[in-house]
Amino acid sequence: MVRAGPDKEGSSEAPVQRGALPVAAFVAQVNACAVDVVAHTEQALTELAALDEQHHFFTVMTPELARAQAQAVTAKIAQGWKGRLAGVPLSVKDCLCVEGVLSQAGSKALEGYAPVFSATAVQRCIDEGAIIVGKTSQDEFGFGSFSTNVGIGFAVPTNPHDPSRACGGSSGGSAGVTALTRLPHLSIAESTGGSIASPASFCGVAGLCPTYGQVSRYGLLDYANSLDKIGSMGKSVDDAALLLSVMAGHDTKDSTSLPDAGFDYSAIASTRAADGLSPVEGLRIGVLADFFGEGVLPEVREHVQRAAQQLADAGARLKSVSLPLTAKQGVGAYYMTAVTEASTNLAKYCGIRYGHAPALSVDEDFNASFTRARSESFGTEAKRRIMLGTFARMAGYRDAYYIRAAKVRTLILREYEEAFSKVDVLLCPTMPVLPPRFDEIAKLTPLQNYLMDIMTVGPNLAGLPHLSVPCGWVAADAGRGSAVGGAGGSDTVFLPVGCMLISPHKREDVLVQAGRIIRPAPALAKGDES
Amino acid sequence: MSAQSHSPGDHGGHGGSSVSGGSDGPPGKPAFTTPIVIGLEIHAELKTKTKLFCRCPTGSATADGKGAVDGSESPNTRTCPICLGMPGSKPVLNKLALQHGLLLSLACNCEIAPTLVFSRKSYFYPDLAKNYQITQYELPLGSDGKVVVGGKPVGITRVHLEEDPASLVHPSGVGGSRFVLIDYNRSGNPLAEIVSAPDMASPAEARDFLNWLLTTLDYLGIFAKDAIIKADANVSIKESGYTRVEIKNITGFKEIERALAYEAERQRKDVDGVVQETRSWDALAGVTRSMRTKETEQDYGYIIDTDLVPIAITTEMIQQARELLPELADAKEQRYLALGVGETDARVISQDKELARVFELAAAKVEPVLVGKWVRRELARVANYNSLCVGDIDTTQFIALLELLSERKVTETTAQRLLEELGAGSFDVRGRVAADGLGVVADAGALEGMCKEAIAEAPQAVSEYRAGEEKALNFIIGIVMRKSKGKAEPKLVKEHLHALLSA
Repeated sequence: MVRAGPDKEGSSEAPVQRGALPVAAFVAQVNACAVDVVAHTEQALTELAALDEQHHFFTVMTPELARAQAQAVTAKIAQGWKGRLAGVPLSVKDCLCVEGVLSQAGSKALEGYAPVFSATAVQRCIDEGAIIVGKTSQDEFGFGSFSTNVGIGFAVPTNPHDPSRACGGSSGGSAGVTALTRLPHLSIAESTGGSIASPASFCGVAGLCPTYGQVSRYGLLDYANSLDKIGSMGKSVDDAALLLSVMAGHDTKDSTSLPDAGFDYSAIASTRAADGLSPVEGLRIGVLADFFGEGVLPEVREHVQRAAQQLADAGARLKSVSLPLTAKQGVGAYYMTAVTEASTNLAKYCGIRYGHAPALSVDEDFNASFTRARSESFGTEAKRRIMLGTFARMAGYRDAYYIRAAKVRTLILREYEEAFSKVDVLLCPTMPVLPPRFDEIAKLTPLQNYLMDIMTVGPNLAGLPHLSVPCGWVAADAGRGSAVGGAGGSDTVFLPVGCMLISPHKREDVLVQAGRIIRPAPALAKGDES
Repeated sequence: MSAQSHSPGDHGGHGGSSVSGGSDGPPGKPAFTTPIVIGLEIHAELKTKTKLFCRCPTGSATADGKGAVDGSESPNTRTCPICLGMPGSKPVLNKLALQHGLLLSLACNCEIAPTLVFSRKSYFYPDLAKNYQITQYELPLGSDGKVVVGGKPVGITRVHLEEDPASLVHPSGVGGSRFVLIDYNRSGNPLAEIVSAPDMASPAEARDFLNWLLTTLDYLGIFAKDAIIKADANVSIKESGYTRVEIKNITGFKEIERALAYEAERQRKDVDGVVQETRSWDALAGVTRSMRTKETEQDYGYIIDTDLVPIAITTEMIQQARELLPELADAKEQRYLALGVGETDARVISQDKELARVFELAAAKVEPVLVGKWVRRELARVANYNSLCVGDIDTTQFIALLELLSERKVTETTAQRLLEELGAGSFDVRGRVAADGLGVVADAGALEGMCKEAIAEAPQAVSEYRAGEEKALNFIIGIVMRKSKGKAEPKLVKEHLHALLSA
């Protein structure tokens, strides 16, 4: 049973689409000197500060940097310069280095760390005229699926559609702010095992995670080096695609940067192919049967199936595909690999040159000092992952965990290759549930928590590009209705559902073309079975 | 007890170097027979302009090879976010270091890994910028090599690349400082680690192996000569059933032999007290001290460093490196011997890159046997006496001198004197010989005159000689040589005297 949509203007469009111009259109106006960038930036800073007060989307805001950049862009535009992101307010996940700006990956371990360099991805956006408004909240070092595992002293961001619920994670602040701002906005996010797709789904924005190696990781505060990917978030698929096209490209400062990295957005900027046909005409879509069964909320299933139907209506061919190994072993292989790498990445946080450092004592040797710095710096989940990861690489366990996970990962990659010999794009829900309430999250065991990533870990392990796009809304009761079953109550909120598309390596273009077709369907009453 | 014994392939600081890392136990019984068994793990700093994973200067290898070494410049000036391990920075491989590593692996006759893969060796220590060291583990660049030192084969277990940690500075000495300072100038410098099989049977053999290695590094042009060489050594003796003792962090060529000699003696004196353990070398006290026993051996929890993409080492790359491989000491020695050069001369010259360079230049123009003698004995002597490098003595003038000598235009005595003068500074040797009349006294009349004078001055020697005392002639020759100021050719003098006295 379909209810009226949540939009106050009464249109059937999703609420996240309200108000803001598409970024490309805004940039065209800026480049044509039709926008007062300084004034627009002030407006954005005021609005974002108010949103932050309510929702804790930012770890730090950068009004002074934003104003200086707005001045600089204004001066350059007056000289006839044009930038692909000219004047666009840009938020940056806290785990990316911005020169001179606190970059702490949401952790006390990086307390006070203001790097002497900017991440390549950030610098490319600055070079194209983006205005950096702040660093966004995240799970500490990316260790979570809800942005609730924030570091000591950091605030948990709340869902833009219901503050009693989580944003998803770990790029929760990025997704939340992108959903709520009424002005054009882009956000740089980062995914290790689903940290772009998850919050994009829970907040109702487009989240585009590219092929591993498309965007330089130089300047990224590492979680797991073989898995970390910098990606983009926008109110629409096109917004996200535009940001990705600016960030992508080879970088000699990152050895894992693909030699042929790059994503040409202009080639697919039009929604129509040259021959006038739909760009998804004949596209083979593999619907991932493994991810529509048990454990998936019926409303989520229904919306995602509807999204698949929209693609079919536009000319794509649907086919059922199964990834049994990925479905069964993906979460285990992902967590073993990720925590193992993380445990070495976090070793450097010992209080010597940056981050939280307890006062030195002459009675302590370095070991005691390091131990104290680390005990005081890391939150519970970070400590859990350091211990798990250290265990998994120790002599005697290494073969059983670290090495085996690497082998499974290779097999998962093969399973995807096999699937992509039959279809062009894979489709499934992004998250099995609606954004959960904080009290529900608190009850989850670590294992239940990790299993929330069951749909996102696969493409992340395989380094495959994936896109979460809002595909529908579900009505729920504010602060009361359960995300994982049951409904009822008075204050109705509308919670978004994300549909995930996965493509072969370097085929972000196909994701964008397919993702554009998907329009959020009007809200379903939660608990309704259609 | 075999699990605690010393065995081939179970060497170095890698907890057994086994891929699984799970067991240190070698299969089967050790096959040793010699009274002492020694294996070495050498760390040599490679000569590159920039560090292994960033573009900071290494400081120890400037173009002239005489760059500043550790400690001789302001601390923490040769640093960047990468070698400081700043969060967000990423390593990028210095390709020259890879080439150097390839050359060294080939010189050790190693098998070359198909792929260059780096690992993280994790341990917490203040000199490690990231609290892990980027090194190689499962797949070293070179493995299973073999070299021949002094006619004896020495197995090379592995050759791999890794980054140097920072240096710790104790302002008032290791014992007396209340705090320690960290200097990151060295952090990230490229090191080659060479692990030998336990194939050396005495500290002297270990020294010979080190000599071989230093000579090879020098020939390859990949080693900063002033850089400090560091070693870990494994020592075991027959009496203890070859229980392996590892000595860590021996710094300097001479110290390595000292430490080995001390440790072998220590084990012999207290066979029952020998346990499998790690000891450290206290150079000041000249003793090794126990650091830790097997039970607490460190587990480095190696994982692949996925910040560095695996690099395929193609047959083309190996072929290119082979073409760059210079002729090494062994081959040179054989070639010199074939030229007729004396055994000692050939060995000594071939083991010194500079002596070999001068020898080869000179031997192209002058008879090699003569050159061999003069390069090894005279040139090396004069260089040592003046604390010079052989290359500091003008090679062109040295060759000119040898030419004069071989043409018998100067005597050996004159040549020695001129070479000593060359040690103080270059000059035109031929010009000096002509100007100062230093040529051999070839005028038969003048020589005969001097001989007659000498005979007249030494009647007793003359009568002794005539009485059959051949040696007495040398006394008379000496007088002639003095009169000629060394310019007379002794052989000619002898002939003249012989003729005059027999008349």
